[in-house]
Amino acid sequence: MASSCRTLPGRIEYLESVYGLIGLLHRELAAKLCINKMVQYNFKKITVVPPGKDFIDIILSRTQRQTPTVVHKGYAISRIRQFYMRKVRYSQQNFYEKLSTIIDEFPRLDDVHPFYGDLLHVLYNKDHYKLALGQINTARNIIAKISKDYLRLLKYGDSLYRCKCLKVAALGRMCTVIKRISPSLAYLEQIRQHMARLPSIDPNTRTLLICGYPNVGKSSFMNKITRADVDVQPYAFTTKSLFVGHADYKYLRYQVIDTPGILDRPFEDRNIIEMCSITALAHLRAAVLFFLDISGSCGYSIAQQAALFHSIKSLFMNKPLVIVCNKTDLQPLEKLSEEDMKLVMEMKAEAMKTIAQGGEPNEECVLLTMSTLTEDGVIAVKNAACERLLDQRVETKMKSKKINDCLNRFHVAMPKQRDNKERLPSIPQAVLEARANAAVAKEKKNLERKLEKDLENENGGAGVYSASLKKHYMLADDEWKEDILPEILDGHNVADFLDPDILQRCEELEREEGLRLEEEAAQEAFQIDGHELTEEQREILSQIRKKKAMLIQEHRMKKRTAESRPIVPRKFDKDRKFTTNRMGRQLSSMGFDPSAAVDRARSKSRGRKRERSLSRAGNDGDDMDIDGQQSNKKLRVKSRSRSRSKSRPPEEVVPGEGFRDSDQKKKAIKKAKDSVKKRNKEARRGEADRVIPTLKPKHLFSGKRSIGKTSRR
Amino acid sequence: MRLEKCWFCSSTVYPGHGIQFVRNDAKVFRFCRSKCHKNFKMKRNPRKVKWTKAYRCLHGKDMTQDSTFEFERKRNRPERYDRNVTEQTLKAIPLITKIRHERQKKHITNRQKQGKTKERERDAKELEQDIQMLPKKDVMLSTQKTKVVVKVSQQQTEENLMEET
Repeated sequence: MASSCRTLPGRIEYLESVYGLIGLLHRELAAKLCINKMVQYNFKKITVVPPGKDFIDIILSRTQRQTPTVVHKGYAISRIRQFYMRKVRYSQQNFYEKLSTIIDEFPRLDDVHPFYGDLLHVLYNKDHYKLALGQINTARNIIAKISKDYLRLLKYGDSLYRCKCLKVAALGRMCTVIKRISPSLAYLEQIRQHMARLPSIDPNTRTLLICGYPNVGKSSFMNKITRADVDVQPYAFTTKSLFVGHADYKYLRYQVIDTPGILDRPFEDRNIIEMCSITALAHLRAAVLFFLDISGSCGYSIAQQAALFHSIKSLFMNKPLVIVCNKTDLQPLEKLSEEDMKLVMEMKAEAMKTIAQGGEPNEECVLLTMSTLTEDGVIAVKNAACERLLDQRVETKMKSKKINDCLNRFHVAMPKQRDNKERLPSIPQAVLEARANAAVAKEKKNLERKLEKDLENENGGAGVYSASLKKHYMLADDEWKEDILPEILDGHNVADFLDPDILQRCEELEREEGLRLEEEAAQEAFQIDGHELTEEQREILSQIRKKKAMLIQEHRMKKRTAESRPIVPRKFDKDRKFTTNRMGRQLSSMGFDPSAAVDRARSKSRGRKRERSLSRAGNDGDDMDIDGQQSNKKLRVKSRSRSRSKSRPPEEVVPGEGFRDSDQKKKAIKKAKDSVKKRNKEARRGEADRVIPTLKPKHLFSGKRSIGKTSRR
Repeated sequence: MRLEKCWFCSSTVYPGHGIQFVRNDAKVFRFCRSKCHKNFKMKRNPRKVKWTKAYRCLHGKDMTQDSTFEFERKRNRPERYDRNVTEQTLKAIPLITKIRHERQKKHITNRQKQGKTKERERDAKELEQDIQMLPKKDVMLSTQKTKVVVKVSQQQTEENLMEET
């Protein structure tokens, strides 16, 4: 037990009394407020306990930040006093709050479930724990006292310096107090960290407790029935603390607690790890599964295990006990030796005593065999244990007073018997037969059934064999299963056309089409086009069109202005095309009589010459006769002479022109020519011609110079 | 695998071609090529764009209503495979399409017939009016009757008559 007890007995008594008072108050308060303490235990919510130095730093820095920092000696004394009193008060309050949270959050061992109380005692030593908390409490009170004293003194401080000194002293003393309790703070922090990692065991729910020697297979069993992943190793004491898992049975959740192995030793010599299991056994109302290794491969013989059993059988009082013989794959139960068998039977006898009074002495539920390696019997063990626990709990509940309230709430209505006739459930014969056959058929089917996996393996494995997905198709004819159906045909989706009565509709369509074609043929025959043109007419029409096209083309050519189209005037007709003969020929080709036109033309051209020849000596009788037979040469000569009908010298003064004499006229002609010369050189048609054909001719505006600049163009 | 219709020009979109656009209201637009896609993005109405089927059907250029169209209908429920039905369908599809093509061609020729009559009338009128442009001696119409003078010798007939009697 605690050795530190002896060092400070008085102190501890004092502390305990204080502690106890506080506990009492708490309980009363809880009772008044009906706080339910039987909740899921979770020690993870305790706030972190800071080490001593850090504690001081936190508080002091907070004081500095949260209180006004500036004070001058010129202020009013009450203001100075207030300033420093505020600081002292603020620090004290913070200390008080923080220490109070520590004290409140750590669980009080007397107030928690005795299982947790004992567990915490086993792990951390109750006295140490209480001492630490007591010290914290004292520190809190001392700080409160300090602050009270100094505040009283500050009320009478007469200068800034004195007030400041008082404040410094107050804070200093508070910090010293904290420094003195820093080992306790460290210890509490360690405890907190450890407690946070304890498994959350609910002491009141259905629990299965697994116990036995080390290495018998308790953790393996735990791994098998729950999702917990406990370490399983060949050395002893692999499990060093309690582990919790959850298993389901009949729609209820069971806690399964795995304990560290227990050795057969006197109570006082047990170490902390074993004490954990003992505590669990002692306080939790659970079904106990005592594990027995009948093969002896854990390193302990059955005799030793039996001895252990008998030494702790007092703990199994009022708990449904199941003895589980593990490792039957190594050593089956039947093949045990005589003495071992006797020991086992003794244990069984003991276990039978723990069967609940109302329950049947079912032999099977007390001693069970299993093997965690082959998983043989594991579920049976779990079921048996759960069943027994459930029975026991139900019985207990039935016996308690609370159940009556529940029972009053529901009522099973039984119909009253009308007469003595027995009315059994009527099951038709066919159903009974079917049931009988179904069992047989199912067996057969299970044996015969070939899985797809087997098929795959036979036919070459995963990459080689591809299962035929069409195997299970339900079609009208099974031969169609492997058919390949075209989805697209000629740019149409086949699926859009699918129709069971498509044949019929197709026939109808064809009939319709036939009718339609007949109608059309009839219509065509009826339509006599009287407006059809004959071959000749077509030819004539094409000629007309050609003619029209020619006219249009000529008109278009004529439409172009003189600027863009050079026109050769008739006087420069070097080919001698425009002759009267030609005119005569063209006129006759058109179907007209050319003689009148030719005469007219001739008469006009010959007009003056005729007169002149008549006035001279009449040699022209010949000319008239050979009218139509003039040679080309003569025509040429004549036509030239026609254009120069009367040649005068240019200087000759004509009376109507207004020149005095030929000199004047010559000068005038010269002046006219001079004025025109420049214009002609510039190829201008007249004075008003200011046309510039190209405004920016490229050769003037482009190009680099080989030397020099191109800054002007 | 299904052949779809282009939303813009109504031509078939084969697998591996075109683009599908899904709008925020979950309407799917399928396009056969980027031409249609780009026209769609420009917000053009296919009913106003001359080369699309929608325009042609709306303006009566192509056949719209016909019994052959009822054979091809999109079914939402898949039918159970039946070999006989499928065989018949596969045989029927080319017939149906052939008939449809014929009818479409007929529709178009009917449409174009009116143009032909007008053309003929125009030609006849032109012939009548503009025949005067050509030189007269070239124009020999079959309707023009040329007078052929046949000299019958009276003496011979008289002699014959006398002989007979």
